[in-house]
Amino acid sequence: MVRIECYSAPTSLREALQLLAKYGDRARVLAGGTDLVLRLEGVDRDLEGALVNIKQVPGLVGVRAVDDVYRIGALTTVTELREDPVVAEHMPVLADICDHFASGQIRNAATIGGNLVNASPAADLAVPLLLLDARVRLASLEGDQPRERELSLGDFFRGPGVTALEAGELLTAVVVPRPPPGFRARMRKAGTRPAMDISIVSVGVGFCVDGGLIRDARVALGATAPTPLRCPAAEKTLEGRPPDAATARAAAQSAVEAARPIDDVRASAWYRRHLVRVHLEREVLHVGRG
Amino acid sequence: MSRVRSSLIGSSVPKLDAAKRVIGDARYMDDLTLPRMLHGKILRADRPSARILGIDTSRAEVMEGVRAVITAADIPNHSFGHGRDNTPLKGEVVRCIRDEIAAVAADTPEQAEAACRRIEVKYGDLPPILTTDAARASGARAIHGDHPENVALTYHYDHGEVEQGRRASAHVVESTFHLRYVTHCCLGVSGVVASFDGEGKLTIWSQTQVPFLYRRDLAAIVGLDPRDIRVIQPFIGGAFGSKLDIYPFEPICVHLAQVTRRPVKILFSREEEFVASPTRQPAEIRCSMGCDADGNLTFREADLVLDNGGYTSWGATTPFVMMQTFSSLYRVPHVRFDAEVVYTNNPYAGSFRGYGNLQASFTVESLIDELADRVGMDPLELRLQNAQEQGEVTGQGMVISSCGFRECLEGSTTAARWKEKREEYRQQTGRVRRGIGMASMLHVGGGAKIYRSDGCGSILKLDDFGAVTLITGASEIGQGSETALAMITAEELGVKLEVVRVVNDDSEIRPWDVGVHASRTTFIAGNSARLAARAAREKLLKAAARLVERPEQELTIEDGEVLEQATGKHVMSVPKVIRSLHFQDKSELVVTNAYYEPPSVAQDEKFKGNVSATYAWATQVAEVEVDMDTGIIRVLKISAAHDVGRVINRLGCEGQVEGGIAMGMGYTLSEELLVQEGRVRNPCFRDYKIMTAPDMPEIELILVESLDEEGPFGAKGLGEAPAICTAPAIVNAVKSATGRRFTGLPITPERGAREFMKDAQ
Repeated sequence: MVRIECYSAPTSLREALQLLAKYGDRARVLAGGTDLVLRLEGVDRDLEGALVNIKQVPGLVGVRAVDDVYRIGALTTVTELREDPVVAEHMPVLADICDHFASGQIRNAATIGGNLVNASPAADLAVPLLLLDARVRLASLEGDQPRERELSLGDFFRGPGVTALEAGELLTAVVVPRPPPGFRARMRKAGTRPAMDISIVSVGVGFCVDGGLIRDARVALGATAPTPLRCPAAEKTLEGRPPDAATARAAAQSAVEAARPIDDVRASAWYRRHLVRVHLEREVLHVGRG
Repeated sequence: MSRVRSSLIGSSVPKLDAAKRVIGDARYMDDLTLPRMLHGKILRADRPSARILGIDTSRAEVMEGVRAVITAADIPNHSFGHGRDNTPLKGEVVRCIRDEIAAVAADTPEQAEAACRRIEVKYGDLPPILTTDAARASGARAIHGDHPENVALTYHYDHGEVEQGRRASAHVVESTFHLRYVTHCCLGVSGVVASFDGEGKLTIWSQTQVPFLYRRDLAAIVGLDPRDIRVIQPFIGGAFGSKLDIYPFEPICVHLAQVTRRPVKILFSREEEFVASPTRQPAEIRCSMGCDADGNLTFREADLVLDNGGYTSWGATTPFVMMQTFSSLYRVPHVRFDAEVVYTNNPYAGSFRGYGNLQASFTVESLIDELADRVGMDPLELRLQNAQEQGEVTGQGMVISSCGFRECLEGSTTAARWKEKREEYRQQTGRVRRGIGMASMLHVGGGAKIYRSDGCGSILKLDDFGAVTLITGASEIGQGSETALAMITAEELGVKLEVVRVVNDDSEIRPWDVGVHASRTTFIAGNSARLAARAAREKLLKAAARLVERPEQELTIEDGEVLEQATGKHVMSVPKVIRSLHFQDKSELVVTNAYYEPPSVAQDEKFKGNVSATYAWATQVAEVEVDMDTGIIRVLKISAAHDVGRVINRLGCEGQVEGGIAMGMGYTLSEELLVQEGRVRNPCFRDYKIMTAPDMPEIELILVESLDEEGPFGAKGLGEAPAICTAPAIVNAVKSATGRRFTGLPITPERGAREFMKDAQ
């Protein structure tokens, strides 16, 4: 059972970062708590450091258009994403997946920042954000003042439960560049049941169709490797070809070859590859139909 | 003009305890706390097979808050269980992953858990025996010394001459079926509170389904006089058969309370609940079945091997129920049934809603469809042709007193538009296909005479304000018995439902009952309550007649008022009659009691005899949509027809059927406790997948009222039935959609995809 030395709910980013700096890797950030509570009963059972509740830190909630990007605060809940008009209009693939994310109660608590920092290979928000070329902003203290660095989501994920986040750093926002005009994307979460399920795999596809040919192709896969990832081989296969059955089959083949899934209690590697093929093929055709 | 009286029976009444449960007023085990109460935790072996070489508790004993640490050496540790092969704590041998090695009582659950982790146990691991084949192989190590062959129990049943049946067969089908582990998933995890008073008398707050047998068994295990044990059942968050047995944590808790002289509570974590509570019996069933050229069933033969796990619980007796389905579901002249219950080092199985009948019905109903295919008959026609009718006696001696079997077959298929859909779904070739399938079941519906008595006692107390208290032996485990019994009492007595209270939680005041099992409570406890109510009504009418100086026959009681029978004219109120009895010279209370014993018999040594006072029938039709690529099977609709004899509480019946179908669907499509190397690999709801709301299909329910002569107002048992034939109905529907017959469960999307891939190649 957890013996927390310090619980704190800072009211400024600076204060939060000071606590994170002080406790280093003995600090855990509490946002929605939906993953953290499970960790405290499991891998973090013997944690004796600090629990830093960042829910009081201002400026970390909501979706805003800033110049040519959309900035999504780390504390924005999945419910808020699901209902946000900016997300619905400009990032519909993100809104869609929020509808399949856990259950209503969990969606009300879980945050976008937490979902990414938890770094599950099956994280529901990772695949659509990878499709959207999202970047994450990581804050830390420099001297006494907060500073931020930005990383692509692809570089952020390092392994199951492992990210590029360093001790003392806090994920403050997700930044999504405005997608190219005409960009359409879809994602498929494959599991045993339609709700309350961890993906066996998740598959995302997005592209523009220009003169009947695919342009700006993006393919992302979840739960097929130690991290959610983009699949450049499949993207290359799609690029410049018509979105027809032959293209879909070829892209699916590239993705299957790129996937490195494992056998676990949820599915075999064979089934994961099989689902990547089935769903990628279906989704390419879906996106192509518009 | 005769007066029409509205009846409570058959109406929809919300559970009497619903408001309490909804507003959080219901106190479950989790909520119970007593002054000075300690918290107990159990150290488990966490390995399937080993010799225990030494246990060192010294480091745990000195930890903060720790009040006691016990091992097998510290307690009498009497053996218990159906096979007397289990002990509260294990001192020498580990036989399965959940085995209890030591226990700690401490001021907080966290301290107790931390102390458990400081107990050092030296094990000498033994190669685990993980399959029934390995257990029965020659030279296999005996898991229990007194069972050298590793066979805990065997069952043999037969009627007729199977060889004769085979010779008379024009068609024979045979298959082997594999059923795996599932578990109950009660919302309320297992727990117990034990408290001794200064005189050494024990009060135990338990979730047991069988408080009176529990009292006797617990007394023997912990070495107390049963008279010194009071069993109180708090609100129980689901049982489904899992609380039919007594488990090691219960005597362990009693011993911790004894040693510390303080109340002790043990409450499982969810992970512990998955690892250390019972499962349904995994079974391998080889079955063959035949019929003549016209589709009349000729014979049935079945050989079963059940994985008992490390110990024998009541669940090991499930072949007793399985054989009823093999012998008596449809008219079969020749039957042979053999079952072996085999020890392994796997988690041990227990009793679970349906008690073996899910495995049996899955087998029989799958093969019935295969036979229909061979004969070239519509599966419905084949079933109708072989379905029993009222008055028949089955080969096993089961007397079919009331019988809605035909109505179930017809009602469910009519609701499902069977013929039309079957035609529509013939010969599909797409990657998404639909199908329709059906299955029936037979289960005890009037109790089951397993013990010397299958009875239930009731005490009815009317107070001077007209409040009615039914003190019943029957327990409420969430199934709604409290409400059904209150309705039966109110109806028989002639009072409003609101004045009836049910006391069903304290062994100190309740009369005996054998327990909640075999779908028996509405039938047995209902009849018992009705008899007590009838006696009270007669007493009231006699007193009223004396008071108004009129013949009893001219009076009646309705809604708490004594009325003139013919006209409905008001005569006097029931409370007034009670007070006139109570506060007169020869004062008298209106307290009655009854004990109802059903007219069933214990089966003979050949398992023959009418074990239940009546039998329940059901047919479910499933319509499915199969994605041949992903392997996902979506159930679109279940049309369920259940012979309930007579509806007591319509809402209760609907709840039972819907819950049972959810359980049956989980068994078919998603639920599996993954046991590998004797370990449970998915001890959490994240990876053990029960059905959720969006998984549930449309359910059309047909309640068939066959009006049983012996049942209370004609009712029979319904509790287990709804879960029993869902699996074969779905599997038959998948066969009709895809041409693929699944002989194992669950059909997870992955297993489906692997099978359907064969079709694509």
